[in-house]
Amino acid sequence: MSVALLLLCAICAGLLTGCGSGTSATRVVRVGYLSTDMHQLAYYVAREKGFFTQEGLDVREVGAFSAGPEEMSAFSAGQLDMGYVGAAPAITFASQGMADIKIVAQANTIGSSIVVRPGLDIADVNGLKGRTVAIPGVSTMQDFILHKALDEAGVDPAEVNIIVVKPPDMIASLASGQIDAAVVWEPYPTMAVAQNAGRVLITSAKILPDHPCCMVVVDSKFLKDNPDTVKRFIAAHIKATDYINANKLEAADMAHLWTGQDTSITRVAMKNIKYAYVPSVKAIQSYVDFMKKSGVVKQKDTAAFTRSLVDTSFTGGSGR
Amino acid sequence: MSRWWKIVPPLVALALWELLAGLGWLGKTPTPVQAVRGIYELIATGLPPGYHLQGHLLASLARVFTGFAVAFVIAVPLGIAMGAWPLASVIVDPLVEAIRPIPPLAWAPLALIWFGLGLASSAFIVFLGAFFPILLNTVSGVKSVDPHLVEAARTLGARKRTILARVLVPGSMPSIITGMRIGMGIAWMTLIAAELIGVKNGYGLGYMIMTARDLARYDLLVAGMVVIGVVGFLIDWLIRLGEKRLLRWR
Repeated sequence: MSVALLLLCAICAGLLTGCGSGTSATRVVRVGYLSTDMHQLAYYVAREKGFFTQEGLDVREVGAFSAGPEEMSAFSAGQLDMGYVGAAPAITFASQGMADIKIVAQANTIGSSIVVRPGLDIADVNGLKGRTVAIPGVSTMQDFILHKALDEAGVDPAEVNIIVVKPPDMIASLASGQIDAAVVWEPYPTMAVAQNAGRVLITSAKILPDHPCCMVVVDSKFLKDNPDTVKRFIAAHIKATDYINANKLEAADMAHLWTGQDTSITRVAMKNIKYAYVPSVKAIQSYVDFMKKSGVVKQKDTAAFTRSLVDTSFTGGSGR
Repeated sequence: MSRWWKIVPPLVALALWELLAGLGWLGKTPTPVQAVRGIYELIATGLPPGYHLQGHLLASLARVFTGFAVAFVIAVPLGIAMGAWPLASVIVDPLVEAIRPIPPLAWAPLALIWFGLGLASSAFIVFLGAFFPILLNTVSGVKSVDPHLVEAARTLGARKRTILARVLVPGSMPSIITGMRIGMGIAWMTLIAAELIGVKNGYGLGYMIMTARDLARYDLLVAGMVVIGVVGFLIDWLIRLGEKRLLRWR
């Protein structure tokens, strides 16, 4: 009996996902973002300053997600038109054919750090040899950053015990000496320092200058049907990004209101985040190449795959 | 075997799943065939590559059995005490009922502070899942023992300890085993939470499933779910087998 019920539910769910967006152009945009993510501050600023409304858009928040993969699943289910999400889940889901999306803007670049636990007296990345280092996930941007840093220091990754710990648990793990170092995005590095749970060994800006991080993505079909709506959305995003860069102090206050982090944290954390909107095909491809090496991306021609994934026309990018 | 038809409902369910997923009616849901291929990939290649299914399975078995064993060792004596002495029940009951509804995942950050990364913290989460079903079933098992039996034993001159060992414990055994079966099931259900804290050695079925989710490999994700389902089924079958032998007297 219960099996039959489950199947019935499954069928209903299947039918529901079948109903997508209509074909006529719309000003309604169903948006998803990661809750309390400082990298996606431009979304909050655009919303609070009315930039979306000024563009004549009706932005409806479908979901504040706690992790990128769930947000990408919502794209897969046809429930989102546009979203702010990390490069890793966006590229992974596109590569696996789980979500048909395009990257139409950058939300931020850099903004991660390698943090080491208190009492670990190492001067540089070389000191991580033989240590336990936590990353948020296999083949994430932070995994890439770590591998790049080890590579440049001449350390074989096999000599480092790389484990996966979710960012909120990293600070406690550092403080208790369970891990020696963690590679993580802001504001966690700043929080770790503020709580005496660690110090920043090196910022990701020094390892991979201008590496991509959070992205603005759009459902491919929505983009095809509503190019003008996407253009307006990105215009609001650009306006918000410029606003953040021109009003850092106010933006830090807004980040406090959005994420609940103390302004003493958001002010410091924002110094390590670069709010920029033009996606770099070249930088994204170097990350895709890393994902291919880890076996996550299967596409043979990573250059062609990246070009098909990134659309720089909305941000006035050069297309490279 | 006269009960061959028992495999018909699962086969029908599998066929329906294959049909609906194959037709694309379930979104991007992998088909059973893809899940089976996923299991092969997990054994041959591993996820992340190099971390094979066998290692994930062993690591999770260790976590589940450690947590379950601790739960069993604490819950059964406590449950018997609560069932036999009303006072014990009055003292412990409010605490149990207040802690029981808290989702194991909520304990994860505290487990990390208390036990650090590793076996102890994951086993603690599993313990929380397994403990309450065993405890409550033990209590109800003791309470369900016919008072006339206890009275009869007492008039025959049996001491308290003898009544406990010869009447109450054997009498509540069926209920305790039911509690074990439920507890074992919930222990596996908490595995994702238990391994979400982070695993130090890179192994664990729950960790593997979360990695498949991160990497958008839903075929491997479903493969991992199937593995947990099969292992859970086998363990339950073993417990029932033990139950038949143990309770032959019934």
